[in-house]
Amino acid sequence: MRYLAIIFLVTGMSFAQNKQILYGFSEIPQTLMLNPGGQINNSGYFGLPFVSHIHASAGISGFTVYDLFANNGVDFNIKLRDAIYNSKPRDFGSINQQVEILSGGFAIGNIFKKNEYISFGLYQELDGIWYFPKDYAILALEGNQNNINKVFNASHLKLSGEVISVLHVGYNKKVNNQFSYGVRGKIYSNILNVNSIKNRGTFVTEIGDNNIYNHIFNLDLELRTSGIAGFEDSEADDVYRELKKRTLMGGDKGLGFDIGFSHQISKQWYVDGSLLDIGFINHSKDVENYSIKGTYQFEGINPFFSELETGQTANDYWNKIQDEFSEVFEPDTTYTKFTTWRPIKLNASLNYAFGEKKEKECNCIKKEKEYQNRIGAQLYAINRPRQPQAALTLYYYRKLFKGLSMKTTYTADSYSLNNIGFGLSANLANVNFYVMADNLLQYKNIYDAQSVSLQLGFNYIFKKNED
Amino acid sequence: MIKQLFTYTYIVILINSMCLSCSKPVDFDQVNDLEITPVMESSLVYLNQPATSFLNDGNQISTVQDYVQVQFFNSDFIVDNLVKAEFVFETTNSINSGFQVKVDFLDVNSQLQHSFSFLVEASTNNLNTTSNFTEVFQDNTLLALKNTSMLVFTLKMLSGTPVTQNTVGYVSLKSKGVFYFNIDADL
Repeated sequence: MRYLAIIFLVTGMSFAQNKQILYGFSEIPQTLMLNPGGQINNSGYFGLPFVSHIHASAGISGFTVYDLFANNGVDFNIKLRDAIYNSKPRDFGSINQQVEILSGGFAIGNIFKKNEYISFGLYQELDGIWYFPKDYAILALEGNQNNINKVFNASHLKLSGEVISVLHVGYNKKVNNQFSYGVRGKIYSNILNVNSIKNRGTFVTEIGDNNIYNHIFNLDLELRTSGIAGFEDSEADDVYRELKKRTLMGGDKGLGFDIGFSHQISKQWYVDGSLLDIGFINHSKDVENYSIKGTYQFEGINPFFSELETGQTANDYWNKIQDEFSEVFEPDTTYTKFTTWRPIKLNASLNYAFGEKKEKECNCIKKEKEYQNRIGAQLYAINRPRQPQAALTLYYYRKLFKGLSMKTTYTADSYSLNNIGFGLSANLANVNFYVMADNLLQYKNIYDAQSVSLQLGFNYIFKKNED
Repeated sequence: MIKQLFTYTYIVILINSMCLSCSKPVDFDQVNDLEITPVMESSLVYLNQPATSFLNDGNQISTVQDYVQVQFFNSDFIVDNLVKAEFVFETTNSINSGFQVKVDFLDVNSQLQHSFSFLVEASTNNLNTTSNFTEVFQDNTLLALKNTSMLVFTLKMLSGTPVTQNTVGYVSLKSKGVFYFNIDADL
């Protein structure tokens, strides 16, 4: 039972994909994953396998885990009802998790002017989103007795989830001191996919003509899966082996790309932007889809004069009704291949640097003085099944000491308007370590958080000569 | 120096707030208390016939009877979660003759589990007379309902003015089942 609660908690939380603290944090090589055209200030790096980038985030809109599970003496069923009635069909939960398996990069080009950069790697990602199926919840909670004439909307059921691995190679070019651009090609390998996003239809109980009620069903529901059906009778070892194979690019394939740029407007101002995961996956292995489609009206039966009305006995007529009912409501299983699109993400930022570093001694060789502070605004948007979601971030960045820098963020998004985040990047000799988390204000009661996000990682950096 | 101290303190506080997050008491075992009590209503049987339907080759039929086999009441979901049920009947009659409606509940071996009947009043002036009847299933009768796999419906025309081709009036019956569920987290 406890496990069920934890599953509920995890699925109920939404791991937001926004990495507003990492974005533009150019000491950390993984910022290139958020903008392939971003600024680079190393001549090469490799990530420590499996720990170069660990990301997990979760969020939920509408109600929080604390709203439901607070140990406050209030009956759980009352809290559940409150949560259901206060939630809207556009409320959602989503999860996102990433682990870099391999990651690296190096500068190329003329030995005096290495203005191009190649980065590459393999990472695994889990992404899921579900919307609150309000009308289904109301029907399960109340039944139809108090909802005569209410049209229950079947489209409230909307969810999608995928586990994939991504093999990628990126190219970044610093065209001049003002402008850089970059692209990243991606090959996706599907590990598991479940989605049900195009559901339509209604159910209504109306006052009938022949009988008290007329029940009208009009349903068009579909759940598509890939990578799951084959596991039904498999041993745990086989499942593990197969998942490992798919992680190493042995699953259904897809293609995608990222693009990005950064532009120095003046000495102190710059803008940048990126589009990520413009891509698709073709699902053909272990595909199994279920659909419920059809319309049906039921007013009851006339058992007394059945033969007069229908030409058959009451029981034959009843059997016919049951058959028709099953035809509509028993899910049809199909094995049709399908294509899913990756959730496209947009990032953009406007930044202002200030506060030149004061040198203790006059340094006439150093070309430019470094700014110690930066403030800026970032926009993030992601395409989701119901509608795109956006977040706006304001940040303050500061170099603290040599090799240590920090960034604090304030973010307003679909979950909350008071998300404060903080991140640190530390370089000790050639080792870079970073850690960042958001929604710090919510940590005083983590269960009451609408969303939480955490990233950390270790890299080995080859510094630029001029540093 | 003071500035550096300030910076250090700032970092320590922030890191602490990140790592030593607190949580107010929550109890996930509350899921075990989950209990939902939906009430579903569904149309059952109906009837809307003129008096002349009770004639066969000019002879009056006094009893009409048919049956349906239903697995619905034996299904696991119903057996586990149905806590009460009602069959609600609304009748109108403008025939100068009363009726009796009888419903018998039989199990798989055709053994009678439950039976109820009610009367539909005659209309002496061909205006509609209405009458309602509700059969409640609780405790023993609810168990009988859950054992039911066949329903036998009997409509008996009671003595009154004999029906001829010229007899006017209609008898109609509408009905619904009200199903009270109690679904708990018996997981």
